[in-house]
Amino acid sequence: MISTVKTTLMEILDGSPKHRASHYVELVITFVVLVNCTAVILDSVPEIHAVYKDFFHELEFWSVMFFTVEYISRVWSLGAKYDHENGGSWKGRLQYIFSPFGLIDFFATMPHYLHMFFPALDLRILRVLRLLRILKLSKYNTALQDLFHAIHSERQAFGSAVFLLTIATIVSASLMHFAEGHAQPELFGTIPHSIYWAIVTITSGYGNVDATTKAGEAIALVTGFLGVCMAAIMTGIVASAFSNQVARKKAAFEAQLRAVFSDGHVSDDEQETLKRLQAHYRLSDQQVEAMMLSAKNKSTAKH
Amino acid sequence: MTSITDNRSSYRRIKHRAYEIMDGTVPDKYSHFVEVFVALLVVANVVGIILESVPHIHESFEAEFHAFDVFSVLVFSVEFVMRVWSYGEKYLVEKGSQWEGRKEYLFSFYGIIDFVSTVPFYLQLVFPGADLRVLRMFRLMRIFKLSRYNSAFEDMVAAVKAEKDSFSSAIFLLFISCLLFSSLIYIIEGHDQPEVFPSIPAAMHWFILTIISGWGNVDPVTFLGTVLVILTQILSIALAAILTGVVATAYTAQVERRHALYEMEVRAVLADGVVTEEEQAKLKVMQAKFGMSEDQVNAILHQMEEEKHISDAKKLKALEEKNT
Repeated sequence: MISTVKTTLMEILDGSPKHRASHYVELVITFVVLVNCTAVILDSVPEIHAVYKDFFHELEFWSVMFFTVEYISRVWSLGAKYDHENGGSWKGRLQYIFSPFGLIDFFATMPHYLHMFFPALDLRILRVLRLLRILKLSKYNTALQDLFHAIHSERQAFGSAVFLLTIATIVSASLMHFAEGHAQPELFGTIPHSIYWAIVTITSGYGNVDATTKAGEAIALVTGFLGVCMAAIMTGIVASAFSNQVARKKAAFEAQLRAVFSDGHVSDDEQETLKRLQAHYRLSDQQVEAMMLSAKNKSTAKH
Repeated sequence: MTSITDNRSSYRRIKHRAYEIMDGTVPDKYSHFVEVFVALLVVANVVGIILESVPHIHESFEAEFHAFDVFSVLVFSVEFVMRVWSYGEKYLVEKGSQWEGRKEYLFSFYGIIDFVSTVPFYLQLVFPGADLRVLRMFRLMRIFKLSRYNSAFEDMVAAVKAEKDSFSSAIFLLFISCLLFSSLIYIIEGHDQPEVFPSIPAAMHWFILTIISGWGNVDPVTFLGTVLVILTQILSIALAAILTGVVATAYTAQVERRHALYEMEVRAVLADGVVTEEEQAKLKVMQAKFGMSEDQVNAILHQMEEEKHISDAKKLKALEEKNT
C-alpha cells in the first residue's frame, strides 16, 4: 500500500505524463514560485516594504512551509525509484539530493530556518538565496532542458568552437601586442591588456581602440571579421543542435507510437497517453498526424 | 599489427611503434601520454608567452622563463625529430619509400607549424641580434600544435570544403559589394569629407568596418551618402545571416555525413551476424571520434535491428511461399 502511494507520488512530482495530477502540482508550484519572486522584487522597494512588511513576512513563512513539504515529499517518494536489487531506496534519494534541482530546492528553502535560529545573519544573502526559487521553474520549463540537452549532445562542437575562439583571441591579442605595443604602450603594452581588446573586438565588432600602425589596422580588421565568423559558427551550431534535438524527440515519440500500434488497435487509455506525450515533447498536431499515418501504414503492411 | 611485424628487424619494429605512438592512430596508453604531455607543454608555453609580456613579471622571473623556453625547445625538437624519423614507416608497407611519409609530414600544416615554432630558437643562438618580437611571434605558433589534438580546425576545413560553393558565393557577394559600395561612397562623399574618404582603399576600410561592426566611425553628410550608409548596414546584417546559414547547413550536413559513415560501419559489422570485440572497439573509437552521444548510437542500432526484422520477415514469407 505505502509503496504504491510512494510510487504514485514520485511519478506525480516527477511530472510524469501518466497522471493528470502531475499537471496540477506543476501549476501550483509554478504559481507559488512566481508569487515569491514578485514578492522579493516588490519587497526591495522601500515604500512598499514599509506598508506591507507583515504581509511579506507571512507570505515568506507559508512559502517556506510549502517548499519544505515539497522537498520532504520529494525525498521520501524518490525512495521508490530503485528497488532493493538496484541499490535500495537511498540511491534514488541521494541522487535527487545531489542533483542540480535537488540542490536548488534545498538552498532555496533551508536558509530560512538558519535565519530563525541565527537572527543576526546577513539578510542580503538570504534574499539572494530566496531568488534561487525561480530556478525551480526550470524543472517545468522543457525549453531550458531542451537547450541543455542540445548543448550537451553537441558539446564536442561547442568545445571546438570555444577552442577556436580561444586561439583566435590569443593569437590576435599577441599579434596586436607585437604590432602596437611600442606605439600605444598603455593599451597594448602587455598581452593581457591586448587580450581585453581582442575580446571586445571579437564580441562587439570593431574595438574600443584605434590602431596607429598599418599592421595594427589590418590585424584589427581581421579580428573583427573573425568575430563575425565566430558568431556565425556559434549560431550555426546552436541552430543545427536544435534541429537535431527535434529529430531525436520525433524518433522517441515514433517509438511510442509504434508500441501503441503494435497490437493493431488504439484504446482510449493509449490515446490519452499519446496526447500527454505529445504535450511533453511539444510536437504540433500536424507532425503527430503525419507520424500516426506512417505508423498505421507500417502496421497494416505488417499484418 | 604484430602479425605483419614478425619478420622485421627489431629496429624497424621500434620505428613502427614510435610511429604509432607519435601519430596516435592506434589509441593506447603511451600515445595518449605523449598527447597529453605535449598539449600541456604547449598550454604552459602559451601562458608563459602571455605572462612574459608583462614587464614586472618578466623582470622578476627572467631566468625561469628562459630555462623553461630552453626546456620546451628541447622537447619540441625531440618531438620533431622523432616524427620525421618515424613517419618514414607510414607508407613503407604499400609504397616502399621512406621519404614518402616524411615528405608528407614535413610539408603538412602540422609539420610546418612544428618546424617554424621550434627552429627559430636555434637561429637566435647563431644570430643573437635577431628581433625578439619576430622570435616571440614564431614561438606563439606553438599554439597551433594544439589543433592536432582537437579536430576543430579539420572539422571546419572539411565543412567549408563540402560547402565551398555557398562559401565562395558569400565571399563573392562580399567582394562585389565592397568594390561597389566603397567606390560609390568615395564618389558621393569624397568631395565633402576628403579627410575620411580620400581614396577608394580608404573607403574600403570604412566599408569593412561597417560590415563588421555595423557602424564605420563616419557620419555621412549628404543625402545619398546617408542612403548608402544605411544600405551598407542592412547588407552587414544580411551577410551575417548568410554566413550563419551557410555554417549551420555545413555543420548539419557534416553531422549527417558522420551518421551515414557510422551507419555503414555498423551495417558492415552486423553483416556477418557476429560482433567481435575488435569490431566493438572499432565502433567505440568511431563514436568518440565523431562525438556521437549514446542516444544517437542507440537510435542507429535500433533502426538497424528493425530493418533486420523486416528483412527477416520478408525472407520468411518468401520461404513460406516457396514451400506452399
